[in-house]
Amino acid sequence: MKDTIICRCEEITLGDLEEIAKKHNSSAREIKLLSRAGMGFCGGRTCRPAIDKILTNITKENPSDALPLKVAPPVRPISLTDLGGFGKDDE
Amino acid sequence: MQIYDVVIIGAGPAGLAAAIQCRENNLDVVVLDEFPRAGGRLLGQLHQEPNGQWWNGIEESKALLERAESLETDIQLGVSVHHIEKLDDQFVIHTKKKYFHTRNVLIATGAAESPAPIPGWTLPGVMSIGAAQVMTNVHRVKVGEKGIIVGVNVLSAAIARELQLAGIELHSMALPTRNVVVDEQSDPRLVMDRLSRIAHLAPSKFIQLGSKFAKYKFVQSLALKYYPTNGIKMWGMPIYLNKAIKQINGTDKVESVTMVDVTINGDIVENSEKEIPVDFVCIAGGLYPLAELAAVVGCPFIYSEELGGHIPIHNETMETPVKGIYVAGNITGIESSKVAREQGKVAGLAIAHKELNSIDIEEKLQAAVRNVVATRDAASIQFHPGISEGRKKVSTAFQETMKTQKELELVR
Repeated sequence: MKDTIICRCEEITLGDLEEIAKKHNSSAREIKLLSRAGMGFCGGRTCRPAIDKILTNITKENPSDALPLKVAPPVRPISLTDLGGFGKDDE
Repeated sequence: MQIYDVVIIGAGPAGLAAAIQCRENNLDVVVLDEFPRAGGRLLGQLHQEPNGQWWNGIEESKALLERAESLETDIQLGVSVHHIEKLDDQFVIHTKKKYFHTRNVLIATGAAESPAPIPGWTLPGVMSIGAAQVMTNVHRVKVGEKGIIVGVNVLSAAIARELQLAGIELHSMALPTRNVVVDEQSDPRLVMDRLSRIAHLAPSKFIQLGSKFAKYKFVQSLALKYYPTNGIKMWGMPIYLNKAIKQINGTDKVESVTMVDVTINGDIVENSEKEIPVDFVCIAGGLYPLAELAAVVGCPFIYSEELGGHIPIHNETMETPVKGIYVAGNITGIESSKVAREQGKVAGLAIAHKELNSIDIEEKLQAAVRNVVATRDAASIQFHPGISEGRKKVSTAFQETMKTQKELELVR
């Protein structure tokens, strides 16, 4: 199971996450930033619940009402041109 | 620049039902959906109700769409929303195509599937159960010759039946073996308990009996202890709570799965490994509310296991504490599409009431709120026994949030 990929975009395995947690004694958010798990092309749309669960389990942080890992726009993959928004307001 | 009365994100049962109410009250509405077809997950649904009638999602969505179109509703498909920006008196909806300016937003984005990672789950030929449903019922593509379903729950049982009806051979449904991510889906007791909600769909006296007494833990354990080695058959397909899939095997694609026996605690029985040849695997990890957009626009959340995860706080008329932002459908909790449709009606009427403030609409709104509760009580597919408690929690959270907001305003 250690070799099982959890975040497919960034190819992060369960073992990678556990190792980072052990090495740096990090919080859920720190593990995410260090590993880039859930931060790939799909924006965590595939693995977010799995990562939430693993990180809660590793760090023993209790699930709270706030979303475990921050959501930031854009919530869908888009090109930089589209992100710039040029010409998208019809004045 | 046009400022809409409301932008509805999601053209599923909730979004379309809301759009209809808004258009009946002549609001300026645009409905956006990233899928090329309107109907949302309703499109994939096909099952027989306890009264013998068939629930055909394609027909249901067609009826909603036709009504919306007869009211000249602007529905734009294949448009993904990637951000909602909050300005002082309006919102800007960011899409790839253009920006939409609006006074109100209804977020009806539904639910997404939780992954259930087990070794080999990234091989081609492994898919989520929902993907198999969409391919079969919407795109009419046969997902494989012979498959197996990993994960036993309300959704996977319903979709397994749909795959069967489409003539696709399924070996069985079994649990995933326990790991840190799938602990709940791999616990035979918990799965047995949750199966009780689909007892009426299972033409097996054994499941019906087991689930009837599911609240008594000892009966559950007994039922698991005497669980038939060959599984309980539902529509001729074995459902195993005493066997689990340990890994998916194959070089370039799925070739087989490794099945093991598990005890009633979900522990693997040694030397019980068996290889089962299959060419596709459906993973069913359950659903969670898809609430990213509510998060980026600043809606506060509450965690409710009963409702399927983190829920944007809202009241019974589907308003969130962020004025002008409404939610409806599975984003507010995992329930049947009938409940989603009624919630959509409520949200549509609530927005119309905010914009037009008429007594007539207010009466309709109150009736629609009552209808949501009635529909929930009569639902044939219940995803969680604690849905009503979950709803109460959310509603209390809304009142508390509003109280705090008011106090903060007074301090200022």
